[in-house]
Amino acid sequence: MKYNRKLLKLVPFAVISTLALSACQSTKVQRIDANQEVALSDKWNGKDSQLVSEAMISDMLSFPWVNDHLKKEGTRPAIIIQSIRNKSHQHIAVDTFLNDLKRAILRSGQADFVANKEIREEIRDERKDQELNASLETQNEMGQEQGADYALSGTINSFVDQQGGTRVTFYQVDLRLIDMTSNREVWNGQKKIQKLQERSGYGF
Amino acid sequence: MSARIKKAVTLCIVFIQAFLLNACSITQFNHLSPAQLAQQGDFVQAKQNVIKSYSKTGNDRLLYHLEMASLFHLEKNYLASNEQLAIAITLIESFYTQSVSELALVQLSGPTYSTYKGKAFYLPQIHIMKALNYNALAKLSSDNAQYYYDAALVEMRQLDVFLNQLKEQSGGYNTEQDNDFLAKNVYQILKPIFAPTDLLENIDYKDDAFAHFLSGVLFEQSAEWDSARLQYERAMFMYENGFAKQYQLPEQISEQARSGLIRVMRKAGGYENELRALKPTNTGETTQSANVTLVQNIGIAPKRKQLNLMLRANSESKALVMTPILLGNYKERQAQMRWFQMLHADTSLFDIMQNYMLGDLGDVAMGALTKRLPLGPLWDDAVKLGIVDALQFGARISVTYLEPLDNQVTHSEVWLNGQPLTTLLPYHSVSLLTLQDALKQANAEIHAALSREIIKALSARKALDKVGFEQNNLLGNLAKLTTSVVNAITASADTRQWQTLPAEIRVAQVSLPQGEHDVIIKTYFRSGHIIEQSEHITANNVMSLWHTRTFANAPSEQAALTNSTLNME
Repeated sequence: MKYNRKLLKLVPFAVISTLALSACQSTKVQRIDANQEVALSDKWNGKDSQLVSEAMISDMLSFPWVNDHLKKEGTRPAIIIQSIRNKSHQHIAVDTFLNDLKRAILRSGQADFVANKEIREEIRDERKDQELNASLETQNEMGQEQGADYALSGTINSFVDQQGGTRVTFYQVDLRLIDMTSNREVWNGQKKIQKLQERSGYGF
Repeated sequence: MSARIKKAVTLCIVFIQAFLLNACSITQFNHLSPAQLAQQGDFVQAKQNVIKSYSKTGNDRLLYHLEMASLFHLEKNYLASNEQLAIAITLIESFYTQSVSELALVQLSGPTYSTYKGKAFYLPQIHIMKALNYNALAKLSSDNAQYYYDAALVEMRQLDVFLNQLKEQSGGYNTEQDNDFLAKNVYQILKPIFAPTDLLENIDYKDDAFAHFLSGVLFEQSAEWDSARLQYERAMFMYENGFAKQYQLPEQISEQARSGLIRVMRKAGGYENELRALKPTNTGETTQSANVTLVQNIGIAPKRKQLNLMLRANSESKALVMTPILLGNYKERQAQMRWFQMLHADTSLFDIMQNYMLGDLGDVAMGALTKRLPLGPLWDDAVKLGIVDALQFGARISVTYLEPLDNQVTHSEVWLNGQPLTTLLPYHSVSLLTLQDALKQANAEIHAALSREIIKALSARKALDKVGFEQNNLLGNLAKLTTSVVNAITASADTRQWQTLPAEIRVAQVSLPQGEHDVIIKTYFRSGHIIEQSEHITANNVMSLWHTRTFANAPSEQAALTNSTLNME
């Protein structure tokens, strides 16, 4: 009887242990939509990059410079991306953001992009190679490149305010478009993102 | 049970516990630690040692990434180093939420069974190392230089966020330390309870002047004058308001921060009134000269080690008594005794009076060798709770102590064209930072260890009572012995630390003609040994930052090799 009572006392412990152990699970991976936001922290993520680029390009193309250029030149404007400086407190994959920008502009069909310096040099090397090795019919001529009409540049800034487990992060993206002939700033866009992160001091 | 058998069992327990304490005094690393191996230039073995000692997913995962990051940094594999440091930062962020179940586990086992979460001063060191890595990458890669310089500044901005929060919590160095009346008054009241000397006064890690200074240099390098001005200004005020005194740094460094501030104010323009107030002196800079900042990380920070104490209940004086058990070589035993006397022993006037009032005249004289916690009227409660009985065979308490600081470097100099150019001055002492952190934690640690061991002893005793070993016979005593031994095994102190951190950081700012130069850094040791490290550096028109690591005990062959390069980028 004495041992039975002891066993009974051990039952709740055994139940709790079993529950605790069953709560532990091994690594689980699932495939999700690339457009679905999974915000694990307040850091800049893929969704921010996508939202900012879409909003900025939509704003950029609503300004009068596109129609003015079409009227004057009769062709779609060509844009070159100069530099987007990351002046925020987070490491931001600027290339990903730039690619999102390019896609948004190209999808609109209202402007073209000119390749940047490194890519242009690679293409020129390829053309030089074609001159030596490709047949005359398939060769691409040198000196036929399209020059950029406008230069796009900008910065990404951020501010952080923190108190205990609560943190507010504010990202501001500023972009500007400069007319390469006149140096006129034909567009200036700004997009702000604010994120609130709350962390608990204790958990299980 | 006869008195002879009881005596034999007690002797047996003391013997086994002493044996276990000896075994526990062995560190995790069987031979040389990663830091010692890195010091000898054996990075392959050092990394293998880290892989063997720490798990990527275990309780010591933070240390795995920190030590690996340091080793990659020393190997000049800056990208790999930054990958490890990025994981370390993510881990530290995740540690903000404390696990209640883990806290409970620690209470029933020991601190070594918990996840290692690092120290507050690790995060600035991580950001600094990451920034130095990016800076080195920028100098190695002309195509991506701008990206890497920007990435270094991202680290400095993250560090600024952390330091702002730290300053809010601690008060920072906004005013001179001596004017902190409230803190001083509170300290005066608590002083007799904590430590016998002024040891624990003004030792909080409140902000980081060196981090702000380095931040100023990096912003100046990227021609961001406003940010550079703010960082130099913060560094200057902090060095003046107590940081230099707290870490025993020379007074000239606040002057160097002031020079940086004046320089960036001139470059930015529009600060004429502020410049007049700063009273700039002629620094000899010309429009053709370029500024170079050299950062030298020296040695390795002191090790945390284990100090063992035996806890017993003394029914005569109705007190719990802790006595240190000194283990290791002569130097270690001496250090253990000094640490105990400095922080825990009954050597304050308050303690001596307390022992005297308890009528325990023997302990008035023995105060330097024991720590007595008089229970007075609480003694009867302790007996009822079973604490006195649970401590029948004593319990092992383990706390950490820091090995004595060993500053082997007398000075270091920058040489150019066979002539000494300037002296590298100490800008931060990571050794003192580590020591002050250990001192600050010492009392909390011993109290936590004490309550943990009492709880463990009580739980074990209650468990024995439940299963019918309450009898005071041989079997009962053997069972008590077993639980006492098990508790002793799990009572290890938490000596985990980031071992490859430097002991000291020295800096020199020099003005050189624009162009390329071969500079030599000569480090002079007390032993008379001199290490020379040379490197080809480029001085541009703004500011350029270069860093190096110098190990005090580098073998002579390696010291000779440093004439080409050791780790300067």
